[in-house]
Amino acid sequence: MTRLVLIRFALAVPILLGVSVAAFALMRLLPGDFAQAAAGSANVSTEMLEKVRRDLGLDQPIWVQYLAWLGDALRGDFGTSFVTRRPVTSEIGGRLGVTFELTALAALMAMVMGGLTGLASARFRGHTDWIVRLWNGLMLAIPNFVVGTLIVLLAGLYFPQIRIFYFVPFTEDPLGSIGSLLLPAFALSLAVSVTVSENTRAAVLEVASQDFVMVARAKGLRPRTVLRNYLVRNALTPVITVTGLQIAQLLGGSILIETIFAIPGMGQYLFDSITSRDYPVIQAIVLTTAAVVVLVNVLVDIAYIRADARVEG
Amino acid sequence: MSDPFLKVRGLTAAFTTRGRDVQVLNGLDFDMAAGEAIGIVGESGSGKSVTARALMQLAPEGSSIRLGGSVTFQGQDLLQYSERQMQTLRGSQIAMVFQDPMTSLNPTMTVGAQIDDMLRRHKGLSARPARDRTVELLERVGIHNARRRADDHPHQFSGGMRQRVMIAMAISCDPALLIADEPTTALDVTVQAQILRLLLQLREDLGMALMLITHDFGVIAGMVERVMVMYRGDIVETGPVERIFDAPEHLYTRALLAAVPRLDAPEAKP
Amino acid sequence: MSDTDFVTDDDAPLPQRRKAANGDRWMVGLGLAMLALMLILTLLGPLIAPYDPSMTSPNSLAPASAQHWLGTDSIGRDILSRLIIGGRTTLLITVVAVCLALAAGLVLGLTAGYIGGAVDQVIMRVLDVIFAFPVFLLAIAVVAALGPTVPNLILTIAIVYTPILARVVRAPVLSVKSWDHVEAARSVGVSEFRLVTRHILPLAISPILVQVSLTLANTIFTVTALSFLGLGPPPPDPNWGGMLAEARQFMELAPLTVIAPAGAIVFATLTFIVLANGLREMLDVAGKR
Repeated sequence: MTRLVLIRFALAVPILLGVSVAAFALMRLLPGDFAQAAAGSANVSTEMLEKVRRDLGLDQPIWVQYLAWLGDALRGDFGTSFVTRRPVTSEIGGRLGVTFELTALAALMAMVMGGLTGLASARFRGHTDWIVRLWNGLMLAIPNFVVGTLIVLLAGLYFPQIRIFYFVPFTEDPLGSIGSLLLPAFALSLAVSVTVSENTRAAVLEVASQDFVMVARAKGLRPRTVLRNYLVRNALTPVITVTGLQIAQLLGGSILIETIFAIPGMGQYLFDSITSRDYPVIQAIVLTTAAVVVLVNVLVDIAYIRADARVEG
Repeated sequence: MSDPFLKVRGLTAAFTTRGRDVQVLNGLDFDMAAGEAIGIVGESGSGKSVTARALMQLAPEGSSIRLGGSVTFQGQDLLQYSERQMQTLRGSQIAMVFQDPMTSLNPTMTVGAQIDDMLRRHKGLSARPARDRTVELLERVGIHNARRRADDHPHQFSGGMRQRVMIAMAISCDPALLIADEPTTALDVTVQAQILRLLLQLREDLGMALMLITHDFGVIAGMVERVMVMYRGDIVETGPVERIFDAPEHLYTRALLAAVPRLDAPEAKP
Repeated sequence: MSDTDFVTDDDAPLPQRRKAANGDRWMVGLGLAMLALMLILTLLGPLIAPYDPSMTSPNSLAPASAQHWLGTDSIGRDILSRLIIGGRTTLLITVVAVCLALAAGLVLGLTAGYIGGAVDQVIMRVLDVIFAFPVFLLAIAVVAALGPTVPNLILTIAIVYTPILARVVRAPVLSVKSWDHVEAARSVGVSEFRLVTRHILPLAISPILVQVSLTLANTIFTVTALSFLGLGPPPPDPNWGGMLAEARQFMELAPLTVIAPAGAIVFATLTFIVLANGLREMLDVAGKR
C-alpha cells in the first residue's frame, strides 16, 4: 500500500520535470526576443539590451538558464513581472486562490448535478434515462464560454435584478464570495457534469448488477438503505475519480469563464500577460497549473488504489 | 393447523424480454413441513434457483419476473403480499445464503455493519445491542476474535470465512426457513464439508426448515430428508433421499447420479 | 455458467443486439447528414453567402428581416454571410489539425504499441508531459508564443490533440499484436509494415474512429474558444468565436448577434458528438452500455 503510493508519487517527478522543461522552452526558444520583452519596449539601445541580457543570465548556455530558473521556481521565486516590475509570486498568489475557489466550486456542482442525474437515469431507466441522456448530449455540445455568454445575455434581458459582474474575495466574506461565483461556476461545471453523469450512470448500473445488492434486498433492508449503503457507496469511488480527472478541463475552462464574468483570477491574468508578453508570469502560471493537474491526478490514482485494495484484497 | 408450513401450488415464473414471455417454471407443486430439510437438485437452467427467488420474490436488478399460482407460507399467501410486506418478511422469516461468498458481501462496509443493519431493521435493535448480537452470531458460525473481526472488511476474510459470515447473516433474525442456494459450489472441497456441517448443526440447534439447492447429489446426502429433482422448470421426481439414491425412477435423475464422483469408486485426481 | 445467473441461462434468443445496432445506425446517419449540411454550406460559402462578409453598412444591429435573415452586427455586416464564411475558417482549421494529429497519433501510437519496450516508454512518457497541461491552457500558451495565424492555430491544435489519439491507437495495438492471426501472418513471412497496416490496424479502427470524432468536437471548442479570446485567425476574416466575443458588448440590444454564432458553434460541436456516439454504439466500443 504505502509502497504503491510512494511509487505513484515518484512516477510524477519525471512528468513534473518534463512539464517544467516544456514551460521553460515554450517561452525562451520561440520567436520574439526575450530580452526585448524584458526591457519593456522594442526601441531600446543595444547597450541596454546587453545589460538586460546579462542581468537575466541570458548570455549563459540555455541549460544553465533552465537550471537557474527551475531552482528559483522550486524556492517559490518566479522572477519579476515585465509589466509591473513586482515579484511574479506575489502577483499570482491571490489570483491563484480565486481560480481554485472557482474550480473547486464548479467541481462540486458538477459532482452533485452529474451524480444526481446519473443516479436517476440508472435507477428509473425509461423516460428519465432518455431525458437525462438527451440533456447530457446537448450540454456536451455547448462549450462553456457559450453557456457563460448566454447566461449573461439571459440575465441582462430577463433578470436585470441579478448582479452578474461582481466578485467578493473569499477572505473578506466567504459566503458572499461563493455567492458571487455561483453563476460562473455553474457555466463552468455543465460540461463536466455530463462526464460525471454518464460515469455515475455506468457505475450505478455496474454496481446494481453485483450479487451483494441482491443479497441486501434478500436481507429485507428498506430500498432507501440499499440505495444509500450498497449502491451509492460503491459507485462513489469511480465518480470521484472521474471528477478528479476533469480538473484539467476545469482549470482550462476557467480562463474563459473568468474573462466573461470579469473575475480577477489566474485565467484572466494569464490572458492579460499573453497580450503584454509578460513571459515570467506566463511561465509561472503554466507551470503551477500543470503541477496542480499532475498532483491531483496522483491523488486520484492513490484514492483509486486504496479503494481497489479494499475491493480486491 | 390445517395448512402445512409451506405449500406451493401451480407456481409459475416468467421473464418478460422485449415483449416476449419466457416461462422458466411450469407450475410447481410441493409442500414442506416446519423444520424439514429438503434438497432441490438439478443442472444449470433447471429452474431450481428461480424457485428460491420466486419464494422470496426477488428479481435480478433491472428485470422483472411474473409469478403465478400460490405460495402459502405459514398460512399466508405470499403472492398476495405487497412489496412492502415482502420486505418485512425477507431476512426475518425466510433468509437466504447465496452461491458466491466472494461477491455477496458489500466490499465497502465492514462485515459487522452488514449484519447489524439487518438486526436493526428486523429486530429494532439499536447500534450497541445489534453489535453484541452480531458478535454472538459470528462466534456461533466459528469466527474467532469475533468482536475485532466484525470491524474488518470482507476482503480481509477467506472465501470459507465469508460464507460463514453470510450464514451468520442469514440466521441472524431466526428465520423459519433458510434457503441455501449452492452454498458450497464456489468453495474449496475441504471448506465445503465444514460449511455443510455448520449448516446441519445450525438447523438442529435452531429448528428451522432448510431448503438446500444444488446441482451436486454429493452435497445432498446426509443433509436432507427429502429430495426434489428439477428439470427444465418442472419437478420430475421427488422422494426420500435414500429412495432416490437407491432406486431413481426418472432417467434424468439417473444421469445426475451417474455424474456424482463416488468415494467407493477410484477417483481421477488432476 | 452458473444457475444463479438465470437471465443469461435461458436459451431464448435475445433480439436486443440487432435492434440496438439499427437504432445507432440511425444516429450515425443523423450525424453524417448534419456534417453534410455543414460542409455544403461552407464549401459553397462564397457562392451562397448573400453579402460580402466584410461589407459594412449604416444599418447596424438590425433584427432579422427578409434582407438580413439573421440581422446585422454592430457595424452593419450581414451575420448570415459572416457565419457561412466564418465556418470555412473554423472547419478548415479543425479538419486539417485533426488530420495532422491523427497522422502523428498513428505513427506514435503504432510505434509505441508495436515495438513496445523502451521505445514505448519514451514515447508515452513524453506524451504524458503534454497530457499534464490542460489542453486549452497549452493551446493558449503555444498560440500566444507563435502568434495567432491560421497555420499556427493548426499546428497548435495538432500538438495538443496528438497524445490522446496516440493513446487510443496504442492500447488496442498492444493487445492485438499478440493475437494468433498476427503470429500466423508473421510466421509466413509477412513484412512488418504489412503486418501493422493489414493485420493489426483494422482491428483497432473502431475506437480510433470514435476518438477522431470526439476530437473533432473538442477542436471546434478549442478553435472557437481561442477566437473568443482574440487568439483566432486574424481579422478581417470572420470566425464564430470572434463574432460571439464582439457581440457581447451589444447583446442586450441585438440578442441575435450572440445567438447566431452560439448556435453555429453548438451545431458544429453537436454534429461530431452525435457522430461519435452513433459510431461508438454501432461499432460496440467498450465503455458504453
